[in-house]
Amino acid sequence: MKKTGSYDFYLILATVAVLFVISAICVYGMFSFKFAQIQNMPVAIKATYMERMNTILIPFLIALIVILGICIPKRLMPTVWLNRFAVLLGILLAGVVWWIDLKTGLTVILTLSLLLQTVVLILALAGSARLIFEKKGYWLRVGSSLIHLGLILFILDLLFYKNLKLHLLLFWITTLATVAGMLLCFYAEWVAGVFDRTKACNNREEDKEASIEQ
Amino acid sequence: MLAAATLAFFSTAGDLLLWAILGLSSLLGAVGCLNLISSQPRWQRQTGILLFAVNLLFMGGFILICWFHWQIHDNISLTLPDEAVTWLNSQLNAMNKGASFSLPLYDPAQPPRYTIPVWIENEKYFFWFFCYSAMTLIAHRSLAHRQFRAVLHILLAIQVAILCLAANPFRDPLPKFFAEISPWFEPGLTPMARFGLFMRLYPKQIFYYNAHYMWFHPPLLFLAYAGMTITFVTSIFMLVKRDLALEKLGYDYAKLGYFVLTLGMLLGYPWALQAWGPNWWWDPKICSSIMMWAIFSTYLHTRLYANKPAMWYFSAFLGILCFAAMIFTFLASFFFPGEHTFQ
Repeated sequence: MKKTGSYDFYLILATVAVLFVISAICVYGMFSFKFAQIQNMPVAIKATYMERMNTILIPFLIALIVILGICIPKRLMPTVWLNRFAVLLGILLAGVVWWIDLKTGLTVILTLSLLLQTVVLILALAGSARLIFEKKGYWLRVGSSLIHLGLILFILDLLFYKNLKLHLLLFWITTLATVAGMLLCFYAEWVAGVFDRTKACNNREEDKEASIEQ
Repeated sequence: MLAAATLAFFSTAGDLLLWAILGLSSLLGAVGCLNLISSQPRWQRQTGILLFAVNLLFMGGFILICWFHWQIHDNISLTLPDEAVTWLNSQLNAMNKGASFSLPLYDPAQPPRYTIPVWIENEKYFFWFFCYSAMTLIAHRSLAHRQFRAVLHILLAIQVAILCLAANPFRDPLPKFFAEISPWFEPGLTPMARFGLFMRLYPKQIFYYNAHYMWFHPPLLFLAYAGMTITFVTSIFMLVKRDLALEKLGYDYAKLGYFVLTLGMLLGYPWALQAWGPNWWWDPKICSSIMMWAIFSTYLHTRLYANKPAMWYFSAFLGILCFAAMIFTFLASFFFPGEHTFQ
């Protein structure tokens, strides 16, 4: 179990707070849908309702994406650099939103997060000791990296929903990464046991072959 | 349509099985109540045997439901006269133009048949409670905790009582499906009326009853609901006593529940795109599911810090909140209109 007071802990608290607000908005959306009888309204009114709910939700989704953007490099950088990175990320987002638009700003952050997370995954797969993880264990780290990669891809994929083929392709990659990540993360000991057994079996067979050759 | 003898056999045999399950689980519930108030463990071994018998009967009922669906597949098809086929396929071709997901053309050699998954209408409750019963059996064997076992047994008795008295899948099997399909078998239906009916039944058959996702999306969610119920019971005990073995068991079920919940929700996404298009965002059931998933994610994150007393209780509180969110999400289908509604 982890210690409280770490950077990780406060990032989790911030994520929890944002998820709580998103949940509250979801509940509000349900009652609003029911009492306004949206289901019986013409398509244009339904579209307006969805637009309104999206507008309410967007700031919190941005917050979630920014937290995600800060969460990802925490595996690669110490806290001091992480603070600087968070500030830089904020400035980058503000700049892109100012010059282009919000959607491009979010796409830039998500793409940056995706690249960083891919680096984290590669390093985790290579068993790098330079990665900053509070959790120990090879498979647990690989699993956690895969889950976060899936999460970033899922959010990024939502921006491509108009291109159905690409959207679905990315969706299945997301699903695969998330499922594999959860299996490795939740059942890390079992996976490690399976690999150890396979390794031991292979070693035994190699030993046998070597003894036969001798 | 199905032969009256098939329906009668399914109803009678299923009803008998269900009442037997109710009898055994009521006994389990009664012993559970006794164990809750008593200071000594009572009939622990016997309750294990009873629980095993309940699971066997549940399995029998499940096999019976599978057999019934096989009968539907074999005996009910949307067969059209040969002269209507060319015209129908030209209509389907016109409909498929520009559509993201197309309807298969009608093949007179193999008229469309229903391959209905075994968890629609009231059968979903049977499957859900069967999952809970199996998980209760595993939890019962994993941890010899008298009061924890007692609460699991009482919850099982309550669920079976609900199944028997309010959601019996055998008494009146698949009423909505048979109400939809029965006009097809009415004698004297004009060709135009039959064609109109086909165009109503066929898309629903393809995108709902025969949808591949239907085999994965709902059962994974019901498995998750069953797992969350066990986590809920352990969370209640966590509020009362700091028992690490109980907490570990709850966490094991939470991990399983979260895994299948996430996978189930993800698999609902491409199905929703196929069946409804992109216009289902802000559907009430989806809102509440996202909320439930968010609470569950929070629970799993806070549990990492459960070594601190405050976080221990907060984690337990979230485990209970997850269950409340699950009930709310399930009931949302009854009270809130939308694509998932049971209204």
